[in-house]
Amino acid sequence: MVWQSVVNGQNLKFRLAGINNQNFIMRDEETGSWWQQISGQAIQGPLKGSELVSVETDELTFGTWKRENPNGRVLRPDAKISIENYDPNWEPQVAKMRVTTTAQLDTTLEPRTIVVGVTVDGKSKAYPFTAIEKQAPILDTVGTTPIVVVLAEDGKSVRAFSRMVDGRKLEFLKKPDTNEIVDAETASVWDFTGRAVSGELAGKQLTKITVLKDYWFDWKTYNPETQLYSLGSR
Amino acid sequence: MKIGYKSAWLLLLIAVAVAFAFIFIPVYLVQPFAPQTERALAISYFLKTWSPIVTPLLAVGVIGLVVVAWKNSKRWYSKVPLVLPIFLSFVFAWFAQQNHFEWMFNPLTSSDFAKASEVDYVKDDEMVLAVKINGDAVAYPVSLMAYHHIAQDVVGGTPITATY
Repeated sequence: MVWQSVVNGQNLKFRLAGINNQNFIMRDEETGSWWQQISGQAIQGPLKGSELVSVETDELTFGTWKRENPNGRVLRPDAKISIENYDPNWEPQVAKMRVTTTAQLDTTLEPRTIVVGVTVDGKSKAYPFTAIEKQAPILDTVGTTPIVVVLAEDGKSVRAFSRMVDGRKLEFLKKPDTNEIVDAETASVWDFTGRAVSGELAGKQLTKITVLKDYWFDWKTYNPETQLYSLGSR
Repeated sequence: MKIGYKSAWLLLLIAVAVAFAFIFIPVYLVQPFAPQTERALAISYFLKTWSPIVTPLLAVGVIGLVVVAWKNSKRWYSKVPLVLPIFLSFVFAWFAQQNHFEWMFNPLTSSDFAKASEVDYVKDDEMVLAVKINGDAVAYPVSLMAYHHIAQDVVGGTPITATY
């Protein structure tokens, strides 16, 4: 998650300060308040009850990001930190770790299943990553918003968009043998950035919905009312 | 009021126990592989907020009590154990000034960036956390973020906190 740092006109400096049901707590140095990483809410201290404003963010492969942003900038490793700490293979190790949560987990999914979570109109829904791999583009409705969940050519980067364009609801399907999607209404072709690249709707941009790649138990802990997309539903 | 050797020891034990509680309770309640409750977080927050002030004050009190007990003890071997409460109260006062979560995950001390085309420390199939504001596109490699957890930056004029 990415948050705006300014709260009530004050630019806060955050430090790692603890853990709450396996999601970390940050402490701001200005007021000493504690903030929950996943929700952006102040849970203790003078700013308790305040919420950070979220910043739209993507979790993409470097290759896909670089193609879209050839002039972008990339955070460098901290020279003071031993390079071994930046282990690109940390994921399988974390996957083996114990799970503790106060959430009521159902038995449908293993707690450390990777899901892609979205929140639209105050309603949350989680899509198991394996379902996205098999079925993308996934057409669904969350709250009252029709959405589409798409997977990039790299097989790892996931984005979601609203399917409403100029008051019209679009249905998408995968263009055979490509990674592009086409809409059934106008047969326009759409790329991974949500832009129509050819056809009647060329130049139109779908509204992006921020997704969060997360463990199922973590998503469920902080979104207790979440729905879960099931693989068999299409 | 005169404090005797035994009363001084009793007060020393209380002071060390209180300092220990201020340190140990939040460490115990906010540990990685145990569930946390709202109440546990509130207690931990209170103790963590006050421990950097309370534990040094207790350490000063311990020194005072040790001086008293030292004067009131007649034999050398009843003086020697007085080293222990001093040692413990100083360890607790020191720990209260530390952020032990950052021992394992050091905070990011630098904020250097490379141009996308010049990056050789991230492979194409590695994940990045990406932000784009007002045309300023920034990628925070997940391998870095999974260690530091927090990166603060100004993107397109907006101060942001990237977390992972």
